[in-house]
Amino acid sequence: MTHPSQSTLALYAGKDLGWFAGRLAERHVARCRECRQAVEAFAGLHDDLVGFVAVPAVSWSRLAAEMKANIRLGLAAGECVRGESSVAPLAWISGMRAAMACAGMVVLVAAGLLLDRSTPPAPRVPVGKDESMVLRATASGVELNQGGQSMSLLHVRAAQGPGGQLDVTYSAGAQGSMRARYVDLDTGYVTINNVYVQ
Amino acid sequence: MCNKLAILFVAGVAALCAQDVPLDPYNSVKINLPADSPLTLISANLGESHASARGSAVVLDLNMALTLRNSSQSRVRGVTLLVAAQEVTPGGKASVTVPSLDVAPGQNFPVRIDLRLLRPGQVGGGPLVQVNLDGVLFQDLSFYGPNRLDSRRSMTAWEMEAQRDRKYFKAVLATHGPEGLKQAMLESIARQSERPSLDVQVSRGGRAVTSAAVPEHRAQFAFLRFPDAPVEPVDGWAEIAGNEARNPRIDVRNRSSEQVLHVEIGWIVTDRQGTQYMAASLPNAEPKLYLPPGSSGRVVQDTALSFSKNRGEPVPIAGMTGFVSQVEFADGKIWIPNREALAGARLLGILAPSPEEQRLTDLYRKKGPKALVDELSKF
Repeated sequence: MTHPSQSTLALYAGKDLGWFAGRLAERHVARCRECRQAVEAFAGLHDDLVGFVAVPAVSWSRLAAEMKANIRLGLAAGECVRGESSVAPLAWISGMRAAMACAGMVVLVAAGLLLDRSTPPAPRVPVGKDESMVLRATASGVELNQGGQSMSLLHVRAAQGPGGQLDVTYSAGAQGSMRARYVDLDTGYVTINNVYVQ
Repeated sequence: MCNKLAILFVAGVAALCAQDVPLDPYNSVKINLPADSPLTLISANLGESHASARGSAVVLDLNMALTLRNSSQSRVRGVTLLVAAQEVTPGGKASVTVPSLDVAPGQNFPVRIDLRLLRPGQVGGGPLVQVNLDGVLFQDLSFYGPNRLDSRRSMTAWEMEAQRDRKYFKAVLATHGPEGLKQAMLESIARQSERPSLDVQVSRGGRAVTSAAVPEHRAQFAFLRFPDAPVEPVDGWAEIAGNEARNPRIDVRNRSSEQVLHVEIGWIVTDRQGTQYMAASLPNAEPKLYLPPGSSGRVVQDTALSFSKNRGEPVPIAGMTGFVSQVEFADGKIWIPNREALAGARLLGILAPSPEEQRLTDLYRKKGPKALVDELSKF
């Protein structure tokens, strides 16, 4: 059996668990004597602590206002004693924070642009017939080319020939297709990939 | 302050890195095999396939390994899969064909899909990629599949080339023994490595910019004629400007006694030094030609091809040669040139080897002559 953690039992004892977690803990405690004893111990401790920390009611907003007034008073007194020099560092720190925030944004944008430039340019995706769309077979593969942008269309998994280049036979179809034929490295089968202008 | 900056920076980097995400194997790719398909999907491993957002587009890098089972009663000779991210988008559709197979009934076999596809980012839900079976070719040349890519004709032609080339190498083995077969393999490997090749650029309809400033003129095709070809080229021309040829037209005549549905012309270009290159295959533009016996027709393509080598150096076209490389009849039978005709026309050193010859030479290089002899004896 997996027991709830001590903190869960403590929260359960103080009725501070959420509804669902509370039901789970309740179900477990009902069946587990060890955890029930732990919960009773926490509950007893909780009652004791309430007694220890019982203090007269405090007006927190009034306390906050007093603290703020005291800080302002302290700063004004310091200014009287040291002249303007004591305030200057605080202003500089405030400006520095803004500058660092701006610098951070600039670094972020610059990094984004840099990373974006390192990826290949986005090919346009025209739909339907486009006369400027070109298929090109070279020794290094088949490319789809349009408007100066190109994209390789094949991942040839062929062995290297005697010249060190991939042993692939490319052939063009005048109807607008390119074919790459090679013996696949893994399967040993001749594999023919055909790509089309449209 | 520094903590805030670091959090902002990490959040920015994370947002950028989130553009490149691995594909969800359950929802990103859908593999569609019909209920009556002769192939069964055993497993699909997406490997390192991933999607990247590039502006308004999504680039899909597919590195998939499928395992299929031949659930039919016949041996499978070839499979074509249509892989589509968005069919009407250029770069959104591709196909993978595995010819030269010999898969027995009940046997599993792998098919790899290593492609990059493009699709618009704004397209709504559904899988990012659909893999559909376009066709399966069996040992007896029967075919199953929707055949949207005309894969029946392609795979039948490759299978016939495979039978032709296996027959040739078996004849060499029978006549000259293993040493003769070894010599034939070495000659084939030498042809493949010495075959002159060009960088070819294909665009539909328009004219490429590389030679736009060069005056255009109409140039005639010269033709190689095979004695047993059922279709003969009669006349042909294309518009040529520098290293670019466009809008080829070739008149052909059916001299067989059967109706012809499809003609494919091999297109060779010659540079100013006299070197010949296989430029492209030129199929008829319409899906089917319907050429009755004795009649003539025209093979037309509204396309522009430009040629270069050495990473962009234009290769001006000094001449063009055409030959009939494939004919499909109305009954589905295919004609291809025989090996003797190709050798006689000195085409073996210009054309790419058949897929089967490529497979056999690869087997010889990797596993030696005994493995090749064993392989040939299976057929």
